[in-house]
Amino acid sequence: MPSSSPVTNEDRLRRIEQVTDTTLSHLDVGDLLTELLDRVRALLSADTAAVLLLDPSGTYLVATAARGIEEEVRQGVRIPVGRGFAGRIAAERRAVIIDEVDHSNVLNPILREKDIRSLLGVPLISEGEVLGVLHVGTLSSRRFGEEDAELLRLVADRVALVTRTHLSDLDRAAASALQRSLMPGLLPKVNGVEFAARYVPGEAGGLGGDWYDVFSLPSGRLGVVIGDVVGRGLQAAVVMGRLRSALRAFALEEDDPAEVLERLDSNVQHFEDSVMATVLYAIFEPSLDRVSLSTAGHLPPIIGRPGERSVLVNVPVDLPVGVSVGPPRRTTEIVLPPESMLFLYTDGLVERRGQSLDKGLDLLCDAVRDDDADAVCTTVLHQMIGPDGVGDDVAMLVARRRATSAIVPLNIVVPALPRTLADIRSTVRRWLNAAGAAPDAAADVLVAVGEACSNVVEHAYGPAGGTLTVHMELDDTTVVASVRDNGQWRPARGDNRGRGTALIRACSDDMDVVAGVGGTTVTFRRHLTEEPQ
Amino acid sequence: MTTATVVVRPEDSCVRIAINGEIDLENAGAIEEQLSAAIPNAARCVVLELEALDYLDSAGLRVLFSLAARLEVLQILLRVHVPPGSPARRVLQLSGFEGVATIEG
Repeated sequence: MPSSSPVTNEDRLRRIEQVTDTTLSHLDVGDLLTELLDRVRALLSADTAAVLLLDPSGTYLVATAARGIEEEVRQGVRIPVGRGFAGRIAAERRAVIIDEVDHSNVLNPILREKDIRSLLGVPLISEGEVLGVLHVGTLSSRRFGEEDAELLRLVADRVALVTRTHLSDLDRAAASALQRSLMPGLLPKVNGVEFAARYVPGEAGGLGGDWYDVFSLPSGRLGVVIGDVVGRGLQAAVVMGRLRSALRAFALEEDDPAEVLERLDSNVQHFEDSVMATVLYAIFEPSLDRVSLSTAGHLPPIIGRPGERSVLVNVPVDLPVGVSVGPPRRTTEIVLPPESMLFLYTDGLVERRGQSLDKGLDLLCDAVRDDDADAVCTTVLHQMIGPDGVGDDVAMLVARRRATSAIVPLNIVVPALPRTLADIRSTVRRWLNAAGAAPDAAADVLVAVGEACSNVVEHAYGPAGGTLTVHMELDDTTVVASVRDNGQWRPARGDNRGRGTALIRACSDDMDVVAGVGGTTVTFRRHLTEEPQ
Repeated sequence: MTTATVVVRPEDSCVRIAINGEIDLENAGAIEEQLSAAIPNAARCVVLELEALDYLDSAGLRVLFSLAARLEVLQILLRVHVPPGSPARRVLQLSGFEGVATIEG
């Protein structure tokens, strides 16, 4: 069996130059790997060269680039870590040389078909972590020596570096796309409260697992979330996406923030593998006056009032989700008067190396000053982050109540479909609460609006459908509501029908129906003050 | 989306049916089916518990009126438990439901 010829110093230098050639850097990753494999094949007089990378689970090596045995890549050859030639290299993190391949225990059928006689392989290691394996093979028997292994290690270093960079670029791009798709681009427009939010990726690790969310609930309440999945990059962003969806699902079913977080916790503990996250979930009453909230290991929110220094909300902090079964979670109710604001944030905003958390929180309370919601975000980012940038990612959300006097008229234009009815009621409930309607009056208006909408959905349009418009405004302490369609009403069908109009009449002070060629408008008025006893 | 939960508790010869959530045009049909399925022919009385029903419109009333008419034919007593101040109470009163079933607080 021939062994490789003695290598002179000059040869050694030439070989090193060949594989460290910086002019290769302009190639994209695929081309660069191919070129490196070709060069190493030529330098070591080998017939085949291949790169196998660990799959994300770390249990398999997957053929990623190959020369001389290209079918390895095309067929997606997978080798379990710890078994076979390549599997052993990855498991033992050292070079392996096989002078005479024993085909009875070669796992890779392609090596067997090609009848490869001798093999040399080294692990790809970057930042102390095995990324994969690089190996070369010959079709005739050959004895690879330590010099050959040295050279292959040099190539492996370069391949590992390029691969690591490429993978983290891909991760960053994917995490960024995910973050963008999950952060609500436009926060919901809600009467009586103004929202603003920001997400700032961290300097070094880029995107992470921070998120915020705002959604309306069928009861007319508003759900507001801020959370932080421990970890960075794509993995944290993916988990964040799942947690966000799970929380939304539980929020539909539960009215108690502690209970929602409890269920989120069970979900994480059951379905996620060693994931920890801090989450704060707050529910705004339709009146917006009261907010109930529960925090799973998340920093307390800040409450700001005009003319006063902002303060941390005194709220008991329960265990983060995903840790272990702990004591029952708690919900705290706070009062949020008009013109005050609730400021939610993640720890990246206040945690600085060489500065205590208390100091950071103190600075933040200084920075959160009465202003419109968007200006609050801008000021806080300017003061807390400044020109230095942040290490960790930062999410923040401001919910600021408007002054009560400013009750803007409500306008809803939606498709006339049964499924929109519940949403209309949610919005109307919130508006009535903001307008200070007495409970009985609110219930009556809700039924009257609901009936009028239901009539439109049922009777105004043919199969092509159409729109349903609701308009509500205040005339002193009386609400004037109109529900409009652009269709042609038909008489009610079936048994037990025709109660809708009677209900509207009974629930309002006066009611008027104007039907014409262009559609039908139902208008009614209802005082919003307490009924005289 | 409009959602309501129907919880059925048989009690001797009576069936207690609690409805939580909201009933409107969207889910009235589904609620009607669930109510029909919950009442066996052998029942002597049905108690509808509506105190946790947050919204009831005429589509929901239609279901309740149809149920009342059907139960009367079957000679099954219908009682509706809906305390004063609960959202469904007013709608039931305005619609004259007291004429077809007993409303209790």
